[in-house]
Amino acid sequence: MRFDFTPEESDFRRKLSAFLDGALPADWHGPADESRDDHWALNQQIKKGLADRGWFVMSWPTEYGGADSSPMMNTIFAEEMAYRRAPGHDRFGTRMLGPTLMRFGSDSQRAEHLGAIARGEVQWCQGYSEPNSGSDLASLQTRAVLDGDNFIVNGAKIWTSLAHRADMMFMLVRTDPDAAPHKGISLLLVDMKTPGIQVLPIINMAGVHSFNQVVFDDVRVPQANLVGDLNDGWRVGMTVLNFERSGIDYAVWARAALEELVDYVKNDDSLVSTVKTNPEVRGKLASLNTEIEAARLLCYDVAWRQGQGEVPSAEASISKVAGTEIYAKVLDYGTELLGMYGALEPGSEQAELQGNFLKMRLFATSGPILAGTNEIQKNIIAQRGLNLPRAPRR
Amino acid sequence: MDFGLTQTQKLIRTSAREFLADRSGPATVRAVADGDTEVAANLWMDVVELGWPALTVSEQHGGAGLSFSDLAVLLEELGATLAPVPIAESAITARILERFGQDALKAELLPQIADGDVLITPAIVGRDASWDAHNTGTVANRTGSGLVITGEARFVSFANQATHALTLVNTDDDQFAMVVVPIWKSPGVEQIPLNHASGTPVYSLTFNEVEAPTSNIVATGTEAVAAAAELVATGSVARATQLAGLARAVVDSTVEYTAGRQQFGRPVGSFQAVQHHLAEMAIAAKQVNHLAHAAAWSFSQDGYSVDRAARAKIAASEKIADLCWTAHQCHGAIGFTWEHNLHLYTRRALAWKTDFGDAAFHKAILASAMGL
Ligand SMILES: Cc1cc2nc3c(=O)[nH]c(=O)nc-3n(C[C@H](O)[C@H](O)[C@H](O)COP(=O)(O)OP(=O)(O)OC[C@H]3O[C@@H](n4cnc5c(N)ncnc54)[C@H](O)[C@@H]3O)c2cc1C
Repeated sequence: MRFDFTPEESDFRRKLSAFLDGALPADWHGPADESRDDHWALNQQIKKGLADRGWFVMSWPTEYGGADSSPMMNTIFAEEMAYRRAPGHDRFGTRMLGPTLMRFGSDSQRAEHLGAIARGEVQWCQGYSEPNSGSDLASLQTRAVLDGDNFIVNGAKIWTSLAHRADMMFMLVRTDPDAAPHKGISLLLVDMKTPGIQVLPIINMAGVHSFNQVVFDDVRVPQANLVGDLNDGWRVGMTVLNFERSGIDYAVWARAALEELVDYVKNDDSLVSTVKTNPEVRGKLASLNTEIEAARLLCYDVAWRQGQGEVPSAEASISKVAGTEIYAKVLDYGTELLGMYGALEPGSEQAELQGNFLKMRLFATSGPILAGTNEIQKNIIAQRGLNLPRAPRR
Repeated sequence: MDFGLTQTQKLIRTSAREFLADRSGPATVRAVADGDTEVAANLWMDVVELGWPALTVSEQHGGAGLSFSDLAVLLEELGATLAPVPIAESAITARILERFGQDALKAELLPQIADGDVLITPAIVGRDASWDAHNTGTVANRTGSGLVITGEARFVSFANQATHALTLVNTDDDQFAMVVVPIWKSPGVEQIPLNHASGTPVYSLTFNEVEAPTSNIVATGTEAVAAAAELVATGSVARATQLAGLARAVVDSTVEYTAGRQQFGRPVGSFQAVQHHLAEMAIAAKQVNHLAHAAAWSFSQDGYSVDRAARAKIAASEKIADLCWTAHQCHGAIGFTWEHNLHLYTRRALAWKTDFGDAAFHKAILASAMGL
């Protein structure tokens, strides 16, 4: 066993950090992930900067413009970006669709899309969830019917993050309504400018526009945009979700938040500085620190296993649950330590730490829900990780 | 023991439910949270019409003379609907006046409180946001005719609607005084609106040589400190009771949602993971409800139970915001939207975790009461 980073890994972290020093505004407090909408121009700029330096898709094989970097390097990349709360990384294109196209896409799909993703020129969104299909994704009803060389798509997607910014969507559609739920689904690539697509904003509970409802009314999608085989979309589309499921962002956001909180408590000018000698407060901060480090190690474990050629599933779920839970806990304690000030919204007079802890806490509510709820993750941990029997189907 | 409601309490509950369903729905709650002071003022006028500010004022002073336990039934309903009205604020300051005030001051103010012409809101927290009765953000010079007050009071609920603030001041002779300070259009008072997650109007007040006549002094010295401590205890029980109502409403709406929402061909509420979430929420809601009502019941003419009051707010502060986060988890993405009402409850629960003292504050009180 070894619990440090290689010189190459540390060197990369330093370089990325130095780049972010220059790219982020001096007073950058960062939004949580879902408020990127507020900072779209900066998002685009950083994306470009990362692409120019070859970091944007460094996890990809060299033949697609990547650097074939190890899963550990990718984790360090995600970690450093999250630690700085930097906008500009594109989980939909680089982490989800890219790897899926490499495995299942046609030559022309790869040629058309991978380069554009690698250069940071295109924004993708993920059209999976529907109003009646959340955890039970396989029940999705958005219909695609082949008509000559085109699919005609009708239906609605919901909670589609960044649909209002996206050029393209990868979406799951029902192509065989008579087959068993998992057997009649296909994955399509859709240009968001196609006539018949309507993007309706949904404001989240923190007051930010980050996700949307997307309505499809006789939308024509070329047959050539089918990824993999017809009706094999479940298998193709689930590959994406395996890339999605990691707790690293959350574990690191938690670390950044705890550091901000500790700095605040340590500062003699802060309104709560008297609590820094309080043993209960010190104990609580120390236990949060411990849980954050544990969550971080769980994420490194996933990366290490991937580096060994494994496809960790229960481990990924464990890291997602641990990361999202500790992030919420740190923010809960932050708002609590801020006392009465913890209840002030961003922009309020007399707010402490810009009201960010409250805002981040509200955002953090979505962590245990998105990318597979934590209940579903725990089912995976119990059933796939621990081999416990499944509940009998009634 | 009797966990049932008296006839009076039943009446309070029924009429409160009727009125609040009609007049304090989500649209009203949202308007007030967005800073609409007119909607808040109109709602208050209707509440005054119903006679709610008079409920616990003594009969001698023109009130209905009901108990704090009766009031708690109303507070629970106000919590359940997030009703943005200063009934708790009015009732707790009136009670402190009844218990500590001079006869002349009581005779002057209490009938007006009962009529809704006077609304007194607590203003005893300074910049350090401490609820400790020895900490105040205001100082006062004694003059021949009264006190001249300077300083600030933060996190004052409904200051824009209140006619007076009940404030603890440090006097120049190194003493404390609790005093009723006129704040309505008072020249030396500046009101700074805060954007408070409770969704109720909360302000910071700056006092610049504001005069209060000697007759407005409620108590001085250790008596004033005791009055301030009792004000905090009374307020904390009021908040705990409101939070108990809030919790009940969140449990009910989450049960309703998860029983209806279908995934995998069955209601998500049929999954044990979800059922256990809801069971834990229900346990917490019941615990807080009992502790809050037991505390409210302990308030009598002669005082209150210090340990019951502390326990009520410890439990409410520790459990109710968590209960709301669990409710979000049970709702999935729909509960993460602005449009859904759940976040209004969550925000208020989070904000009131610390109002009138957080769990740590009340634990210190309880530990002392336990003889530690
Ligand atoms: C901020 C945010 C961004 C999102 N972005 C996207 C996006 O870009 N693209 C996209 O396609 N989707 C997106 N989603 C949707 C996300 O994938 C779904 O919210 C998620 O799958 C859960 O579905 P649901 O919200 O419908 O909840 P439901 O499935 O209705 O779940 C409700 C409750 O029931 C529980 N439950 C359901 N089934 C079970 C079970 N079998 N066992 C135990 N408990 C169960 C859940 O855990 C939850 O507590 C986003 C969601 C959020 C909150």
